[in-house]
Amino acid sequence: MANYHPSDELLMQFAAGQLTNALGIQTACHLESCIECQKKVFIYEQLGGDLIDYSTPVEVNTEAKSRLLATLHAKRDAGQLRTSDLEPIEALEPVFKQQLEHADQRLPKPLRRFVPSYYEHLPWSGFSKSIQSYDLPFSDEQYTARFYKIAAGKELPQHTHQGNEFTLVLSGSFSDLSGDYHPGDFVLANTSTHHQPQAHDKEDCICFAVTDAPLKMTGFFGRLLNPFLR
Amino acid sequence: MTQGTQTNAQYLNNLVLKIALQDEQAYLELFDACASRLKAYAIKCGSSASDAEDLLQECMLTVWNKAPQFKPASASAMTWMYTIIRNRRIDILRKEKPSQIQSFDLWPEEDIAQISSVELISSHLDDEVESDLNAKMVRILIESLPEEQRQIIYKVYFEGKSHSEIALDLGLPLGTIKSRLRLAMKKLDNLAKEQMTWLIIILVTNF
Repeated sequence: MANYHPSDELLMQFAAGQLTNALGIQTACHLESCIECQKKVFIYEQLGGDLIDYSTPVEVNTEAKSRLLATLHAKRDAGQLRTSDLEPIEALEPVFKQQLEHADQRLPKPLRRFVPSYYEHLPWSGFSKSIQSYDLPFSDEQYTARFYKIAAGKELPQHTHQGNEFTLVLSGSFSDLSGDYHPGDFVLANTSTHHQPQAHDKEDCICFAVTDAPLKMTGFFGRLLNPFLR
Repeated sequence: MTQGTQTNAQYLNNLVLKIALQDEQAYLELFDACASRLKAYAIKCGSSASDAEDLLQECMLTVWNKAPQFKPASASAMTWMYTIIRNRRIDILRKEKPSQIQSFDLWPEEDIAQISSVELISSHLDDEVESDLNAKMVRILIESLPEEQRQIIYKVYFEGKSHSEIALDLGLPLGTIKSRLRLAMKKLDNLAKEQMTWLIIILVTNF
């Protein structure tokens, strides 16, 4: 059970279908294992339904209904509709379905299509063994998405953030001055966060980080590393 | 909540349950009951009139295909259709940008269990109470929000605006927007807790 959660605003934007790629996938990963946030999203979805109910109707094209019926019949004749009451049609396109089936099932479901293997076999990159990163393919104009791996027992140089950094712990755990973070925990660091995360001893800590600005190292050692961390 | 809206929610639920049984008449009735509001949603979200018509068509086709998965126990028909049009909208937007994620990445399909229609209908009576309660409470809540808080929620839902964009739109300081949204969210959060209490009461009285 996670102890740290996305803010209510973020969950509401998620329910509204308005989050960008990176934040959307990250929030979906947290939701997968957090019943508490699932309940909130559920409430916000009802709110969405009610907002539609409250909308002032907009006149629909006169031929919209006949067009719909014609498409329905055409699809049925082409075998593209569910044909019995018992079997809902397979919603996913075959290519997506295949991607999901071939993925490593230990990964959170929203990530499976995008990550080629389980964490230990990813092509990690980085200048140091203490911290390595793996770029995720769904960064958007606003946010960069990547995994970080902090080696067991290692401490990162002290740093602050120029913008927001959302971190979801996927595996292992780490701590900083504010707390201990375990899988499922969702933490927001921003310009006022001044921290030095340390992975717990037993295993590497894998985090899914979404940032809207690069990290800024503050210690002496950190300043040296800064150019490499992007 | 008036008697009228309650009846309307039940009416829509029943239509979708009938569509699950391939009832075309019910499908057309549902179209008449909802199409103009679904189109309004698309337009508020920024679609042109013709894109909104396309989204409406896509949404209604998905309604037909997914009707067997509709469970009045978990959501009212309107909430269910909201999630469909929200997801279709995301997928249509992504079509032009293949790099984008799909709605099923955000809301992975539940493993589609084979639900028999008999089961659907027999479970319906008990469930109706529960989903009506949910709908009732959310509705009371929206109605009780001051106009200024409701306006901000609309902007989040339909326009995907960030706090600072909303502040700019409304010509208000960012802090004001944040505190208004926070107040609205707090009410919703209390509602979530209250609703859990209701669910527990329902579960206890059912068993």
